[in-house]
Amino acid sequence: MMEKMLELKNITKRFPGLVANDSVSLDGVAGEVHAVVGENGAGKSTLMNIITGLYHQDEGEVWSRGEKLEFSGPRDAILKGIGMVHQHFMLVNRFTVVQNIILGYEGTKSGVIDFEQARNKVEELCRLYDFKLDLDKPVGELSVGHQQRVEILKVLYRGADILILDEPTAVLTPQEVEELFTNLEKLKTQGKLILFISHKLHEVLRISDRITVLRRGKVVGTVVAGETNKKRLAEMMVGRPVLFRLEKPECEVQEPVLEVRNVTIKTGEDRQSLNNLSLTLRRGEIYGIAGVEGNGQRELVEAVMGLTAYHEGSILIKGQETKGKCVRDVRKIGVGYIPEDRHHRAVVLPMTVWENAVLGMEGDVDYGSWWKLNIEGIKEFTKRKIAEFDIRLGTIDSAIRNLSGGNQQKVVLARELSTDPDVIIAAQPVRGLDIGAIEFVHKQLINARSNGKGVLMISADLEEVLSVSDRVGIMYNGEIVKEFVPGELEVEEIGHYMLGASQKVGEASHD
Amino acid sequence: MTKKTKIMLLQIVSPIIAVLFAVIVSSVLIVVIGKNPLEVYQIMLEFSFGRVDSIAAILFNATPLIFSGLSVAIGFRLGLFNIGAEGQYFMGALCAAYVGFSFGNLPMIIHLPLAIIAAMVGGALWALIPIYLKLKRGVHEVISTIMLNYVAYSLINYLISDVFMDNNQHIPEGTGSPIIRTPKLLASVLMPKLNDFLSLFGIDLPSYAYVNWFFVLALVLAAGIYYLVARTPFGFRMRAVGSSPGAAEASGINPQGVYLRGFLLSGAIAGLIGLSHLLCFYGYMDLDFPKSLGFNGIAVALMGNNNPFGIVVSALLFGFLSRGAEGIQTFLGIPMEVVVIMQGTIILSVVVAASILGRYIRIWEKKEA
Repeated sequence: MMEKMLELKNITKRFPGLVANDSVSLDGVAGEVHAVVGENGAGKSTLMNIITGLYHQDEGEVWSRGEKLEFSGPRDAILKGIGMVHQHFMLVNRFTVVQNIILGYEGTKSGVIDFEQARNKVEELCRLYDFKLDLDKPVGELSVGHQQRVEILKVLYRGADILILDEPTAVLTPQEVEELFTNLEKLKTQGKLILFISHKLHEVLRISDRITVLRRGKVVGTVVAGETNKKRLAEMMVGRPVLFRLEKPECEVQEPVLEVRNVTIKTGEDRQSLNNLSLTLRRGEIYGIAGVEGNGQRELVEAVMGLTAYHEGSILIKGQETKGKCVRDVRKIGVGYIPEDRHHRAVVLPMTVWENAVLGMEGDVDYGSWWKLNIEGIKEFTKRKIAEFDIRLGTIDSAIRNLSGGNQQKVVLARELSTDPDVIIAAQPVRGLDIGAIEFVHKQLINARSNGKGVLMISADLEEVLSVSDRVGIMYNGEIVKEFVPGELEVEEIGHYMLGASQKVGEASHD
Repeated sequence: MTKKTKIMLLQIVSPIIAVLFAVIVSSVLIVVIGKNPLEVYQIMLEFSFGRVDSIAAILFNATPLIFSGLSVAIGFRLGLFNIGAEGQYFMGALCAAYVGFSFGNLPMIIHLPLAIIAAMVGGALWALIPIYLKLKRGVHEVISTIMLNYVAYSLINYLISDVFMDNNQHIPEGTGSPIIRTPKLLASVLMPKLNDFLSLFGIDLPSYAYVNWFFVLALVLAAGIYYLVARTPFGFRMRAVGSSPGAAEASGINPQGVYLRGFLLSGAIAGLIGLSHLLCFYGYMDLDFPKSLGFNGIAVALMGNNNPFGIVVSALLFGFLSRGAEGIQTFLGIPMEVVVIMQGTIILSVVVAASILGRYIRIWEKKEA
């Protein structure tokens, strides 16, 4: 038996009214990728925060190589060789790769930062782990995949041999995921222990040696990756069987309901966030937009909704030109909108559930007159929707921030579908939701489409786009570079388009 | 006890605890200057609440603070920091004064409301500048309103001393020089005091008490603002835009329109701040017209947690403190500044207590949701 690099013994962490971790035990050995999976709120983050010294457990012990660890802060954990690669990068865009890596741990020579020594050390690490990076480039100019490498190097530079990766693939293209996995394999062979936090089960199954499943703060079980499958893992996570195949009835595609014609948004002299983009959404279909985030998806949605002005081209909804129309008018034509940034675009966190349920419609006739809100009527409406959408909450008078992400999203969905819109714009509709809520949201979108509505769905999750959409457009650099029907293209090929078809030859594949 | 009443109880108890804390801090200060804190507080309370003229003075002191607190609170609701209430109330007061001395031969029922409307228009127009600059040019409202306060001060001084200066003052030979002031306002524009009304209930105020119907108007306005914010679609939009302009915009609310109208409302209310003094106490506007009532509104709004009823209570508290300060200065020879320090401590501790309480309530709600 190999020595355990990390061992958690019966970790319990309580927050007011909630047991985030309930006697959690897990261990890891050198050269292992150990995945920790679970739905949102299962306690993954709390557990990782304990391991990295951000929180202190109420009960239980953390051991490493036969030594009991006591942390009084994150720095202690780093000294013990535990490092975290965050999902949201903590990098200074204007600094070069080397500067970012040594930030906070700058070695000095007679009071001055010793860049030469630091650079040598970083170069050595790159050689050792086979990381390809331009060390003198400002981090802001690197691709997301390369930025992630910088994050990993940062942790290695600080001497970590236990690496925690929090949802590392969430922002990567399929190719970048492959490259990451190659890097991880290399780290494994060098005797590192990698804790891999994720909810993408197929990736977890591919890269990990063992998988620990958390549910409601408890360990459901630890399994060997080779001895399980996606279905069984999902069942462990959710606690009930999960249908992976979406029920999608056949549906006849009808006339166009949203037409985007040659739309361009300029952001500078010769830069544009949307570049002569055209697409047509028809009744009875879900048009999915795939692509790496930041390639104009947000601008496309905002242009359609009237949230941002565009410089060239035109957008037609149900045949009506919408140029110059405000959000309210666009919605009036018959558009429902599920924004991607739930907390800043979809709900007003400190306001109550019932207020959020009619946000934007508060002045409509059903809900009162200009001098009086029909509070009774709104509450009645909200209660109906809560029953219809199975929204779990204590009282509709509580602030919506107290609801789980899934229930918040259901309130948004209920509101946006209540006007019976003909076009539904769903941007990252299931981001941050757990499996149950994801199923629900997808079902609602598919229902709408089967009832002859048009759904435009934007998602960074390729798997989601491919399983839900009837037609897919790949966005790169403000353009739709490829349209296809799911099943037509191999994932590999889609990845090439996501990185810009022109780079197809340049980027090497690993298969 | 339900959760809701528990929370409400806490919301009432926490400022009281904060005030007690401030009292303790002030006690230390009083001991340091060699006086007995208990004696000081006793005099303050006796002087302020033991005499009917003191009560009247407290209400008179509180009147402009209610207006300025409401004005600032509306800004806060929108997520805007209206530091310009000061300048807006000066402009409002001047507009009202102009209507007051130049529109002759009007019955009071028309003249007085006209002056009030003029004050609101003046305040709103002065607020239009910063909000226009913010919406069209992205100028931060804190900068522009601070600057406009100084513009207003100077403009008013110029208008009073050069344009509207009353040169027909009757000064008996050898008794001094004329005051730099506007002409006296006509009687038809002066707001009646509460003395006659209260005597109906057997409460007799001395003739030097100036509490007037603007106090009642301030209370009515507080109730009105509460209704506006809590019960109307416009108030709903104000709260939505104030907490999350992005979400409001995406849902079809036009944040720009809400900002504009809300800020003008804030300015219109600020225009009323000086009227109780102008239309009842002074009867004209001069270079010594009371300053910084607009700034004090920021403290009142903070202490009242932007709630109209909280604002009334905190305005009354401030009114009491300044009346009490007169008492301890007269009877104990303690400088009024002690009370100013006390005011500051109260504001700080109430704000801190409110944020601690807010966090506590949030955790608690989460637990039960």
